[in-house]
Amino acid sequence: MSRRIILVTGANGALGRAMAQAFFAESPDNFVWLGIHRRREFADELAAANPGRCRVLKLDVTDAASWQSAVAEVLGVHSRLEVLVNNAGTHDDALLAQMRPESWSNVIAVNLDGVFHGCRAVLPTMISQRSGRIINIASLSALFSPAGQTNYSAAKAGVVALTHSLAKEVARLGITVNAVCPGYLESEMLAGMDDQARQRAVAQIPMRRFGRPEEVAVAVRFLACAEAGYITGSELKIDGGIF
Amino acid sequence: MSNTTELKKQIKSMLVENLMLQIGPEEIGDDQPLFGPDSLGLDSVDALQLVVALEKNYGLKISDAQAAKGILQNVNAIVAAVEDKTRAA
Repeated sequence: MSRRIILVTGANGALGRAMAQAFFAESPDNFVWLGIHRRREFADELAAANPGRCRVLKLDVTDAASWQSAVAEVLGVHSRLEVLVNNAGTHDDALLAQMRPESWSNVIAVNLDGVFHGCRAVLPTMISQRSGRIINIASLSALFSPAGQTNYSAAKAGVVALTHSLAKEVARLGITVNAVCPGYLESEMLAGMDDQARQRAVAQIPMRRFGRPEEVAVAVRFLACAEAGYITGSELKIDGGIF
Repeated sequence: MSNTTELKKQIKSMLVENLMLQIGPEEIGDDQPLFGPDSLGLDSVDALQLVVALEKNYGLKISDAQAAKGILQNVNAIVAAVEDKTRAA
């Protein structure tokens, strides 16, 4: 397999790092750009452990200008970009009646606007190449919206809808756009959950366990591979059978 | 051959190659509309590709849909925009 250039946002988190590892495992020639914003300690560790195979890239996904300079940096080194994984995300749960407007807008900005800016930044390159893979990390919350997550669910449902629409726009240009909808994952997203809440959540999952980031990463790698070229506009649930 | 004539030829070849048109560059009229009735039959996805190709090949940035509407009317309009950009540089 020839060398592919991959950009993963939110790469300081467990899921982003698992994706990078999956792409490393796919081919020793793959190069992964690790998009990070405020926190970078784990991404730095990953980059240090994989010299010549990845680099950390400062990127505020909510800012169009930051995307332009990040993509320019990638193209300055490699002149191409095959895969974008829009993985950066955040949540700030509250009942809507008590939700601060800033909580709403920040969650929408990171989870939904970030995907828009990212797609917009990489599309000229992918159109020129007549090939590309965009994988948007949505959530089971997009399809099965729990109470307390109006902001997060709306943002992720928006990501799924954006995925459907954009997939149609660029299908004939050799670019695929797909969404992945993870359920409960063992990651920092669940770090604040107490034991009782964890038990209640596990009880809802037919597999009776939370997913591992690696189990999502392998699906992302599949959607990004050359052989998956006829899959576009799909959303893939990875939830242990919940939905 | 004048610069403008050569540029028209290049633009027509770019249209055929980038949009995979099933006609030869010489079959495209200078004033033939690219979109709409009696046109080359291009659509919005073709326009997207053209915008990207014009920036890549000629450094011509078309910033929004309104600007694209003005420039992507026909080969003559594209050539004029590329020449304006070259003169301004």
